[in-house]
Amino acid sequence: MTRKRRRLAILLLCGLGLGSATALTLAAFRDNLVFFLSPSDLAAKPPPADRAFRLGGLVEAGSVERATGADGRPTARFRVTDGAHAISVVYAGILPDLFREGQGVVTLGRLGPDGVFHASEVLARHDETYMPPEVADALKRAGHWDPSQGAAPPAGGWNTLSPRPGG
Amino acid sequence: MTLHWAHVAASYALAALGLGALALGAWLRHRAARRRLAALDPRAAARDGAA
Amino acid sequence: MDATPPITAAAAPPAPRSLHRFANPGRFLRASGRVLPWLSAAAAGVLAAGVAWALAFSPPDWQQGETVRIMYVHVPMAWLAMGGYLALALASAAALVWRHPLADLLARELSPVGAVVTALCLATGSLWGRPMWGTWWVWDARLTSVLVLFFLWLGHAALVRAFDEPERGARAGAILALIGVVNLPIVKFSVDWWNTLHQPASVTRLGAPAMHVEMLYPLLVCALGFALAFAALVLARTRAAVMERRIRALELARARREERGMAA
Repeated sequence: MTRKRRRLAILLLCGLGLGSATALTLAAFRDNLVFFLSPSDLAAKPPPADRAFRLGGLVEAGSVERATGADGRPTARFRVTDGAHAISVVYAGILPDLFREGQGVVTLGRLGPDGVFHASEVLARHDETYMPPEVADALKRAGHWDPSQGAAPPAGGWNTLSPRPGG
Repeated sequence: MTLHWAHVAASYALAALGLGALALGAWLRHRAARRRLAALDPRAAARDGAA
Repeated sequence: MDATPPITAAAAPPAPRSLHRFANPGRFLRASGRVLPWLSAAAAGVLAAGVAWALAFSPPDWQQGETVRIMYVHVPMAWLAMGGYLALALASAAALVWRHPLADLLARELSPVGAVVTALCLATGSLWGRPMWGTWWVWDARLTSVLVLFFLWLGHAALVRAFDEPERGARAGAILALIGVVNLPIVKFSVDWWNTLHQPASVTRLGAPAMHVEMLYPLLVCALGFALAFAALVLARTRAAVMERRIRALELARARREERGMAA
Protein backbone atom coordinates (compact mmCIF):
# COMPACT_ATOMS: atom_id res chain seq x y z
CA MET A 1 0.00 0.00 0.00
CA THR A 2 2.70 2.49 0.98
CA ARG A 3 4.77 1.55 -2.08
CA LYS A 4 1.71 1.98 -4.24
CA ARG A 5 1.08 5.35 -2.71
CA ARG A 6 4.71 6.33 -3.19
CA ARG A 7 4.55 5.34 -6.82
CA LEU A 8 1.35 7.28 -7.25
CA ALA A 9 2.94 10.33 -5.64
CA ILE A 10 5.98 10.15 -7.89
CA LEU A 11 3.80 9.71 -10.94
CA LEU A 12 1.61 12.63 -9.93
CA LEU A 13 4.73 14.71 -9.35
CA CYS A 14 5.94 13.76 -12.82
CA GLY A 15 2.63 14.70 -14.33
CA LEU A 16 2.60 17.95 -12.42
CA GLY A 17 6.14 18.77 -13.56
CA LEU A 18 5.45 17.94 -17.16
CA GLY A 19 2.09 19.65 -17.12
CA SER A 20 3.49 22.84 -15.68
CA ALA A 21 6.42 22.64 -18.10
CA THR A 22 4.02 22.49 -21.01
CA ALA A 23 1.85 25.21 -19.56
CA LEU A 24 4.86 27.43 -18.99
CA THR A 25 6.03 26.85 -22.54
CA LEU A 26 2.64 27.63 -24.00
CA ALA A 27 2.23 30.72 -21.83
CA ALA A 28 5.74 31.89 -22.59
CA PHE A 29 5.34 31.26 -26.29
CA ARG A 30 2.03 33.08 -26.47
CA ASP A 31 3.23 36.18 -24.65
CA ASN A 32 6.91 36.09 -25.40
CA LEU A 33 7.38 34.50 -28.77
CA VAL A 34 7.70 38.13 -29.53
CA PHE A 35 9.66 39.00 -26.42
CA PHE A 36 9.74 42.67 -27.35
CA LEU A 37 8.30 45.08 -29.93
CA SER A 38 10.55 47.25 -32.06
CA PRO A 39 9.89 50.99 -32.63
CA SER A 40 8.78 50.08 -36.16
CA ASP A 41 6.24 47.59 -34.75
CA LEU A 42 4.86 50.42 -32.62
CA ALA A 43 4.67 52.80 -35.55
CA ALA A 44 2.83 50.20 -37.63
CA LYS A 45 0.45 48.99 -34.94
CA PRO A 46 0.48 50.91 -31.65
CA PRO A 47 -0.59 48.79 -28.66
CA PRO A 48 -3.66 49.91 -26.68
CA ALA A 49 -2.90 52.79 -24.34
CA ASP A 50 -1.96 51.96 -20.76
CA ARG A 51 -0.97 48.41 -21.58
CA ALA A 52 2.51 47.45 -20.38
CA PHE A 53 4.73 45.93 -23.05
CA ARG A 54 8.39 45.48 -23.90
CA LEU A 55 10.18 47.80 -26.29
CA GLY A 56 13.46 46.62 -27.77
CA GLY A 57 16.10 48.11 -30.03
CA LEU A 58 19.47 49.84 -29.97
CA VAL A 59 20.25 52.82 -27.75
CA GLU A 60 20.64 55.68 -30.21
CA ALA A 61 24.11 57.20 -30.36
CA GLY A 62 24.36 60.50 -28.50
CA SER A 63 20.90 60.24 -26.98
CA VAL A 64 21.72 59.19 -23.41
CA GLU A 65 21.25 61.84 -20.70
CA ARG A 66 21.85 60.76 -17.13
CA ALA A 67 20.67 62.80 -14.15
CA THR A 68 19.76 62.39 -10.52
CA GLY A 69 16.07 62.54 -9.70
CA ALA A 70 14.43 64.46 -6.87
CA ASP A 71 14.46 61.32 -4.70
CA GLY A 72 18.16 60.83 -5.25
CA ARG A 73 17.66 57.95 -7.67
CA PRO A 74 19.57 58.07 -10.94
CA THR A 75 17.40 58.76 -13.95
CA ALA A 76 18.15 58.30 -17.61
CA ARG A 77 16.61 59.53 -20.85
CA PHE A 78 17.56 57.91 -24.10
CA ARG A 79 16.12 56.96 -27.46
CA VAL A 80 15.58 53.40 -28.64
CA THR A 81 15.94 52.95 -32.37
CA ASP A 82 15.77 50.16 -34.93
CA GLY A 83 17.14 52.29 -37.74
CA ALA A 84 13.78 53.29 -39.21
CA HIS A 85 11.98 54.65 -36.15
CA ALA A 86 13.04 55.83 -32.69
CA ILE A 87 11.17 56.30 -29.42
CA SER A 88 12.18 58.37 -26.37
CA VAL A 89 12.44 56.46 -23.11
CA VAL A 90 12.63 57.71 -19.53
CA TYR A 91 13.76 55.44 -16.73
CA ALA A 92 14.49 55.94 -13.03
CA GLY A 93 16.79 53.34 -11.50
CA ILE A 94 20.12 51.65 -11.92
CA LEU A 95 21.05 50.68 -15.46
CA PRO A 96 22.67 47.28 -16.07
CA ASP A 97 26.40 47.04 -16.75
CA LEU A 98 26.03 46.38 -20.44
CA PHE A 99 23.94 49.52 -21.02
CA ARG A 100 25.64 51.96 -23.39
CA GLU A 101 24.99 53.83 -26.61
CA GLY A 102 24.77 51.40 -29.51
CA GLN A 103 23.85 48.49 -27.22
CA GLY A 104 20.68 46.47 -27.61
CA VAL A 105 18.17 47.01 -24.80
CA VAL A 106 14.78 45.62 -23.85
CA THR A 107 12.65 47.93 -21.72
CA LEU A 108 9.38 47.15 -19.97
CA GLY A 109 6.89 49.96 -19.49
CA ARG A 110 4.00 51.97 -20.87
CA LEU A 111 3.73 54.46 -23.69
CA GLY A 112 2.58 57.84 -22.36
CA PRO A 113 0.16 60.13 -24.21
CA ASP A 114 3.15 62.36 -25.03
CA GLY A 115 4.71 59.52 -27.04
CA VAL A 116 7.43 58.98 -24.42
CA PHE A 117 7.93 55.43 -23.16
CA HIS A 118 8.01 55.29 -19.36
CA ALA A 119 10.15 52.28 -18.50
CA SER A 120 9.93 50.48 -15.18
CA GLU A 121 12.71 48.08 -16.14
CA VAL A 122 15.66 48.31 -18.54
CA LEU A 123 17.48 45.15 -19.56
CA ALA A 124 20.63 45.26 -21.68
CA ARG A 125 21.09 42.67 -24.39
CA HIS A 126 24.49 41.20 -25.04
CA ASP A 127 25.42 40.58 -28.64
CA GLU A 128 27.36 37.46 -29.55
CA THR A 129 30.79 39.14 -29.63
CA TYR A 130 33.44 38.41 -27.01
CA MET A 131 36.69 40.34 -27.31
CA PRO A 132 39.48 41.55 -25.02
CA PRO A 133 39.52 45.30 -24.30
CA GLU A 134 42.78 45.75 -26.21
CA VAL A 135 41.25 44.31 -29.37
CA ALA A 136 38.19 46.53 -29.03
CA ASP A 137 40.45 49.56 -28.53
CA ALA A 138 42.56 48.62 -31.56
CA LEU A 139 39.43 48.33 -33.73
CA LYS A 140 38.15 51.67 -32.45
CA ARG A 141 41.52 53.39 -32.99
CA ALA A 142 41.80 52.04 -36.50
CA GLY A 143 38.32 53.39 -37.25
CA HIS A 144 36.93 49.93 -38.03
CA TRP A 145 34.27 50.11 -35.37
CA ASP A 146 32.34 52.69 -33.41
CA PRO A 147 30.47 50.72 -30.72
CA SER A 148 27.90 53.51 -30.32
CA GLN A 149 26.90 53.05 -33.98
CA GLY A 150 26.10 49.35 -33.73
CA ALA A 151 27.44 45.83 -34.05
CA ALA A 152 31.08 44.85 -34.31
CA PRO A 153 32.59 44.15 -37.75
CA PRO A 154 32.62 40.53 -39.04
CA ALA A 155 34.43 38.28 -36.56
CA GLY A 156 36.87 36.89 -39.14
CA GLY A 157 38.57 40.30 -39.18
CA TRP A 158 39.40 40.43 -35.47
CA ASN A 159 39.03 37.12 -33.68
CA THR A 160 42.70 36.21 -34.11
CA LEU A 161 44.04 39.75 -33.73
CA SER A 162 46.84 39.89 -31.17
CA PRO A 163 45.52 41.82 -28.15
CA ARG A 164 48.97 42.95 -27.07
CA PRO A 165 50.27 46.19 -28.64
CA GLY A 166 53.07 45.48 -31.08
CA GLY A 167 52.35 41.74 -30.87
CA MET B 1 33.05 48.37 -15.18
CA THR B 2 32.08 47.13 -11.75
CA LEU B 3 33.49 43.88 -10.48
CA HIS B 4 31.19 40.97 -9.85
CA TRP B 5 33.57 38.54 -8.22
CA ALA B 6 30.82 37.20 -5.99
CA HIS B 7 28.88 36.07 -9.06
CA VAL B 8 31.94 34.55 -10.71
CA ALA B 9 32.97 32.79 -7.50
CA ALA B 10 29.44 31.52 -6.93
CA SER B 11 29.30 30.11 -10.46
CA TYR B 12 32.53 28.15 -10.09
CA ALA B 13 31.63 27.07 -6.55
CA LEU B 14 28.23 25.76 -7.68
CA ALA B 15 29.83 23.83 -10.53
CA ALA B 16 32.47 22.35 -8.22
CA LEU B 17 29.84 21.50 -5.62
CA GLY B 18 27.39 19.93 -8.08
CA LEU B 19 29.94 17.85 -9.97
CA GLY B 20 31.85 17.05 -6.78
CA ALA B 21 28.72 15.71 -5.10
CA LEU B 22 27.96 13.56 -8.14
CA ALA B 23 31.52 12.25 -8.21
CA LEU B 24 31.50 11.45 -4.50
CA GLY B 25 28.14 9.72 -4.78
CA ALA B 26 29.25 7.65 -7.77
CA TRP B 27 32.49 6.69 -6.03
CA LEU B 28 30.78 5.59 -2.80
CA ARG B 29 28.16 3.61 -4.72
CA HIS B 30 30.81 2.02 -6.90
CA ARG B 31 32.91 1.02 -3.88
CA ALA B 32 29.96 -0.41 -1.95
CA ALA B 33 28.79 -2.45 -4.96
CA ARG B 34 32.33 -3.73 -5.60
CA ARG B 35 32.76 -4.92 -2.01
CA ARG B 36 29.34 -6.56 -1.86
CA LEU B 37 29.95 -8.32 -5.15
CA ALA B 38 33.38 -9.52 -4.05
CA ALA B 39 31.81 -10.98 -0.92
CA LEU B 40 29.00 -12.70 -2.83
CA ASP B 41 30.93 -14.06 -5.78
CA PRO B 42 34.72 -13.69 -5.42
CA ARG B 43 35.57 -15.62 -8.60
CA ALA B 44 33.36 -13.63 -10.97
CA ALA B 45 34.33 -10.36 -9.33
CA ALA B 46 38.02 -11.06 -9.89
CA ARG B 47 37.36 -12.05 -13.50
CA ASP B 48 35.46 -8.87 -14.26
CA GLY B 49 37.96 -6.59 -12.58
CA ALA B 50 35.28 -5.55 -10.13
CA ALA B 51 37.19 -6.75 -7.08
CA MET C 1 6.26 -7.31 -26.01
CA ASP C 2 7.25 -10.95 -26.37
CA ALA C 3 10.92 -10.20 -25.71
CA THR C 4 10.19 -9.13 -22.13
CA PRO C 5 10.50 -12.18 -19.92
CA PRO C 6 7.83 -12.66 -17.31
CA ILE C 7 8.79 -11.27 -13.92
CA THR C 8 9.32 -14.70 -12.42
CA ALA C 9 11.76 -15.63 -15.17
CA ALA C 10 13.70 -12.38 -14.82
CA ALA C 11 14.16 -13.01 -11.12
CA ALA C 12 14.89 -16.72 -11.51
CA PRO C 13 18.15 -18.18 -10.18
CA PRO C 14 21.01 -18.23 -12.69
CA ALA C 15 19.47 -20.34 -15.42
CA PRO C 16 21.24 -20.46 -18.80
CA ARG C 17 18.96 -17.69 -20.03
CA SER C 18 19.87 -15.16 -17.35
CA LEU C 19 23.55 -16.13 -17.61
CA HIS C 20 23.32 -15.11 -21.24
CA ARG C 21 21.74 -11.88 -20.15
CA PHE C 22 24.69 -11.05 -17.93
CA ALA C 23 27.33 -12.10 -20.43
CA ASN C 24 27.30 -8.74 -22.13
CA PRO C 25 27.29 -6.65 -18.92
CA GLY C 26 30.25 -8.74 -17.75
CA ARG C 27 32.22 -7.69 -20.77
CA PHE C 28 31.08 -4.12 -20.14
CA LEU C 29 32.37 -4.28 -16.56
CA ARG C 30 35.78 -5.52 -17.67
CA ALA C 31 36.16 -2.97 -20.48
CA SER C 32 34.84 0.00 -18.47
CA GLY C 33 36.98 -0.98 -15.49
CA ARG C 34 40.05 -0.48 -17.64
CA VAL C 35 38.80 2.80 -19.19
CA LEU C 36 37.38 4.55 -16.11
CA PRO C 37 40.64 5.42 -14.27
CA TRP C 38 42.14 6.92 -17.43
CA LEU C 39 38.93 8.79 -18.23
CA SER C 40 38.74 10.23 -14.71
CA ALA C 41 42.40 11.26 -14.74
CA ALA C 42 42.00 12.90 -18.16
CA ALA C 43 38.90 14.76 -16.96
CA ALA C 44 40.68 16.03 -13.84
CA GLY C 45 43.76 17.09 -15.80
CA VAL C 46 41.96 18.85 -18.65
CA LEU C 47 39.52 20.49 -16.25
CA ALA C 48 42.32 21.80 -14.02
CA ALA C 49 44.13 23.25 -17.03
CA GLY C 50 40.93 24.70 -18.49
CA VAL C 51 39.75 26.33 -15.26
CA ALA C 52 43.21 27.80 -14.58
CA TRP C 53 43.30 29.20 -18.12
CA ALA C 54 39.76 30.54 -17.82
CA LEU C 55 40.27 32.17 -14.41
CA ALA C 56 43.83 33.41 -14.54
CA PHE C 57 45.24 33.48 -18.05
CA SER C 58 42.38 34.61 -20.28
CA PRO C 59 41.64 38.30 -20.88
CA PRO C 60 38.55 40.10 -19.57
CA ASP C 61 35.85 41.11 -22.05
CA TRP C 62 35.81 44.69 -23.28
CA GLN C 63 32.32 45.32 -21.88
CA GLN C 64 31.58 42.44 -19.49
CA GLY C 65 34.89 42.79 -17.67
CA GLU C 66 35.79 39.89 -15.40
CA THR C 67 32.20 38.63 -15.30
CA VAL C 68 32.84 37.00 -18.68
CA ARG C 69 34.59 34.18 -16.77
CA ILE C 70 31.18 32.76 -15.85
CA MET C 71 30.87 31.90 -19.55
CA TYR C 72 33.59 29.19 -19.22
CA VAL C 73 31.24 27.22 -16.95
CA HIS C 74 27.89 28.25 -18.40
CA VAL C 75 28.51 27.41 -22.06
CA PRO C 76 30.01 23.90 -21.48
CA MET C 77 27.08 23.12 -19.16
CA ALA C 78 24.64 24.23 -21.86
CA TRP C 79 26.39 22.08 -24.49
CA LEU C 80 26.42 19.10 -22.11
CA ALA C 81 22.77 19.57 -21.19
CA MET C 82 21.85 19.27 -24.87
CA GLY C 83 24.49 16.76 -25.96
CA GLY C 84 23.71 14.60 -22.93
CA TYR C 85 20.02 14.67 -23.78
CA LEU C 86 20.85 13.54 -27.31
CA ALA C 87 22.80 10.64 -25.80
CA LEU C 88 19.78 9.86 -23.58
CA ALA C 89 17.52 9.80 -26.63
CA LEU C 90 19.93 7.50 -28.51
CA ALA C 91 20.19 5.15 -25.53
CA SER C 92 16.39 5.18 -25.22
CA ALA C 93 15.98 4.33 -28.89
CA ALA C 94 18.51 1.50 -28.52
CA ALA C 95 16.63 0.24 -25.49
CA LEU C 96 13.25 0.34 -27.23
CA VAL C 97 14.36 -1.14 -30.54
CA TRP C 98 17.07 -3.63 -29.54
CA ARG C 99 16.08 -4.19 -25.90
CA HIS C 100 19.71 -3.81 -24.91
CA PRO C 101 19.78 -4.10 -21.10
CA LEU C 102 22.80 -1.80 -20.84
CA ALA C 103 21.00 0.97 -22.72
CA ASP C 104 18.27 1.01 -20.07
CA LEU C 105 20.82 1.22 -17.28
CA LEU C 106 22.76 3.91 -19.11
CA ALA C 107 19.61 6.02 -19.58
CA ARG C 108 18.68 5.55 -15.94
CA GLU C 109 22.10 6.71 -14.73
CA LEU C 110 22.39 9.49 -17.30
CA SER C 111 19.38 11.58 -16.28
CA PRO C 112 20.41 12.66 -12.74
CA VAL C 113 23.77 13.85 -14.12
CA GLY C 114 21.99 15.62 -16.97
CA ALA C 115 19.62 17.29 -14.51
CA VAL C 116 22.54 18.60 -12.42
CA VAL C 117 24.35 19.89 -15.49
CA THR C 118 21.22 21.67 -16.76
CA ALA C 119 20.61 23.16 -13.31
CA LEU C 120 24.20 24.47 -13.32
CA CYS C 121 23.63 25.96 -16.77
CA LEU C 122 20.52 27.77 -15.50
CA ALA C 123 22.15 28.89 -12.23
CA THR C 124 25.34 30.23 -13.82
CA GLY C 125 23.29 31.95 -16.52
CA SER C 126 21.23 33.61 -13.83
CA LEU C 127 24.36 34.70 -11.95
CA TRP C 128 25.65 36.26 -15.17
CA GLY C 129 22.33 37.80 -16.16
CA ARG C 130 21.80 39.73 -12.94
CA PRO C 131 24.77 42.12 -13.33
CA MET C 132 24.93 42.06 -17.14
CA TRP C 133 21.33 42.11 -18.35
CA GLY C 134 19.93 43.57 -15.16
CA THR C 135 17.74 40.59 -14.27
CA TRP C 136 18.09 37.08 -12.85
CA TRP C 137 15.50 35.63 -15.17
CA VAL C 138 13.23 36.46 -18.10
CA TRP C 139 10.63 34.28 -19.79
CA ASP C 140 12.12 34.48 -23.24
CA ALA C 141 12.12 31.53 -25.63
CA ARG C 142 15.72 30.43 -24.87
CA LEU C 143 15.52 30.50 -21.08
CA THR C 144 12.07 28.93 -21.05
CA SER C 145 13.04 26.10 -23.40
CA VAL C 146 16.13 25.31 -21.29
CA LEU C 147 13.91 25.23 -18.19
CA VAL C 148 11.71 22.72 -20.02
CA LEU C 149 14.85 20.69 -20.81
CA PHE C 150 15.62 20.67 -17.07
CA PHE C 151 12.09 19.41 -16.31
CA LEU C 152 12.50 16.70 -18.96
CA TRP C 153 15.73 15.50 -17.26
CA LEU C 154 14.02 15.51 -13.86
CA GLY C 155 10.89 13.86 -15.21
CA HIS C 156 12.93 11.08 -16.81
CA ALA C 157 14.95 10.50 -13.64
CA ALA C 158 11.76 10.22 -11.56
CA LEU C 159 9.78 8.19 -14.09
CA VAL C 160 12.32 5.38 -14.54
CA ARG C 161 12.42 4.99 -10.75
CA ALA C 162 8.63 5.08 -10.26
CA PHE C 163 7.87 1.44 -11.10
CA ASP C 164 8.46 -1.77 -9.18
CA GLU C 165 9.44 -3.63 -12.33
CA PRO C 166 12.50 -1.82 -13.74
CA GLU C 167 11.55 -2.86 -17.29
CA ARG C 168 8.30 -0.91 -17.22
CA GLY C 169 9.99 2.18 -15.78
CA ALA C 170 12.73 1.98 -18.37
CA ARG C 171 10.21 1.75 -21.19
CA ALA C 172 8.15 4.69 -19.92
CA GLY C 173 11.34 6.72 -19.47
CA ALA C 174 12.55 5.86 -22.95
CA ILE C 175 9.28 7.05 -24.47
CA LEU C 176 9.45 10.28 -22.46
CA ALA C 177 13.07 10.83 -23.53
CA LEU C 178 12.17 10.39 -27.18
CA ILE C 179 9.17 12.73 -26.96
CA GLY C 180 11.41 15.33 -25.32
CA VAL C 181 13.79 15.39 -28.27
CA VAL C 182 11.52 17.94 -29.99
CA ASN C 183 12.73 20.41 -27.38
CA LEU C 184 16.39 20.21 -28.51
CA PRO C 185 15.99 22.14 -31.80
CA ILE C 186 13.75 24.59 -29.96
CA VAL C 187 16.55 25.27 -27.44
CA LYS C 188 19.19 25.55 -30.14
CA PHE C 189 17.31 27.75 -32.60
CA SER C 190 15.13 29.74 -30.18
CA VAL C 191 17.58 32.65 -30.40
CA ASP C 192 17.31 32.68 -34.19
CA TRP C 193 13.60 31.99 -34.63
CA TRP C 194 12.29 34.50 -32.11
CA ASN C 195 13.61 37.70 -30.62
CA THR C 196 14.98 36.86 -27.21
CA LEU C 197 16.95 38.61 -24.50
CA HIS C 198 19.54 35.82 -24.78
CA GLN C 199 22.18 36.48 -27.40
CA PRO C 200 22.60 34.29 -30.51
CA ALA C 201 25.30 31.61 -30.70
CA SER C 202 28.90 32.84 -30.72
CA VAL C 203 30.78 29.60 -31.40
CA THR C 204 28.45 27.10 -33.09
CA ARG C 205 27.39 29.30 -35.99
CA LEU C 206 28.10 29.64 -39.65
CA GLY C 207 31.18 31.73 -40.33
CA ALA C 208 33.94 32.70 -37.92
CA PRO C 209 33.26 32.39 -34.17
CA ALA C 210 32.35 35.83 -32.80
CA MET C 211 34.72 35.19 -29.92
CA HIS C 212 38.36 36.15 -29.76
CA VAL C 213 40.65 33.11 -29.79
CA GLU C 214 42.14 34.09 -26.41
CA MET C 215 38.69 33.32 -24.96
CA LEU C 216 37.64 30.65 -27.46
CA TYR C 217 40.57 28.30 -26.73
CA PRO C 218 40.11 28.21 -22.93
CA LEU C 219 36.37 27.75 -23.53
CA LEU C 220 37.04 24.72 -25.74
CA VAL C 221 39.47 23.25 -23.17
CA CYS C 222 36.89 23.75 -20.40
CA ALA C 223 34.18 22.20 -22.59
CA LEU C 224 36.38 19.15 -23.24
CA GLY C 225 37.19 18.85 -19.53
CA PHE C 226 33.54 19.05 -18.46
CA ALA C 227 32.56 16.58 -21.19
CA LEU C 228 35.19 14.09 -20.00
CA ALA C 229 34.00 14.55 -16.41
CA PHE C 230 30.38 14.00 -17.53
CA ALA C 231 31.37 10.81 -19.36
CA ALA C 232 33.39 9.54 -16.37
CA LEU C 233 30.50 10.22 -13.99
CA VAL C 234 27.96 8.44 -16.19
CA LEU C 235 30.32 5.51 -16.77
CA ALA C 236 31.02 5.10 -13.04
CA ARG C 237 27.29 5.24 -12.24
CA THR C 238 26.46 2.74 -14.97
CA ARG C 239 29.17 0.37 -13.69
CA ALA C 240 27.75 0.66 -10.19
CA ALA C 241 24.26 -0.03 -11.53
CA VAL C 242 25.42 -3.14 -13.41
CA MET C 243 27.11 -4.45 -10.27
CA GLU C 244 24.05 -3.64 -8.15
CA ARG C 245 21.84 -5.58 -10.55
CA ARG C 246 24.14 -8.56 -10.37
CA ILE C 247 24.18 -8.33 -6.57
CA ARG C 248 20.37 -8.43 -6.52
CA ALA C 249 20.35 -11.52 -8.76
CA LEU C 250 22.99 -13.28 -6.63
CA GLU C 251 21.22 -12.46 -3.38
CA LEU C 252 17.94 -13.73 -4.80
CA ALA C 253 19.62 -16.94 -5.94
CA ARG C 254 21.18 -17.46 -2.53
CA ALA C 255 17.84 -16.86 -0.79
CA ARG C 256 16.24 -19.48 -3.04
CA ARG C 257 18.99 -21.98 -2.31
CA GLU C 258 18.59 -21.48 1.40
CA GLU C 259 14.83 -21.83 1.06
CA ARG C 260 15.26 -25.12 -0.80
CA GLY C 261 17.80 -26.31 1.76
CA MET C 262 15.33 -25.53 4.51
CA ALA C 263 12.50 -27.38 2.75
CA ALA C 264 14.68 -30.49 2.15
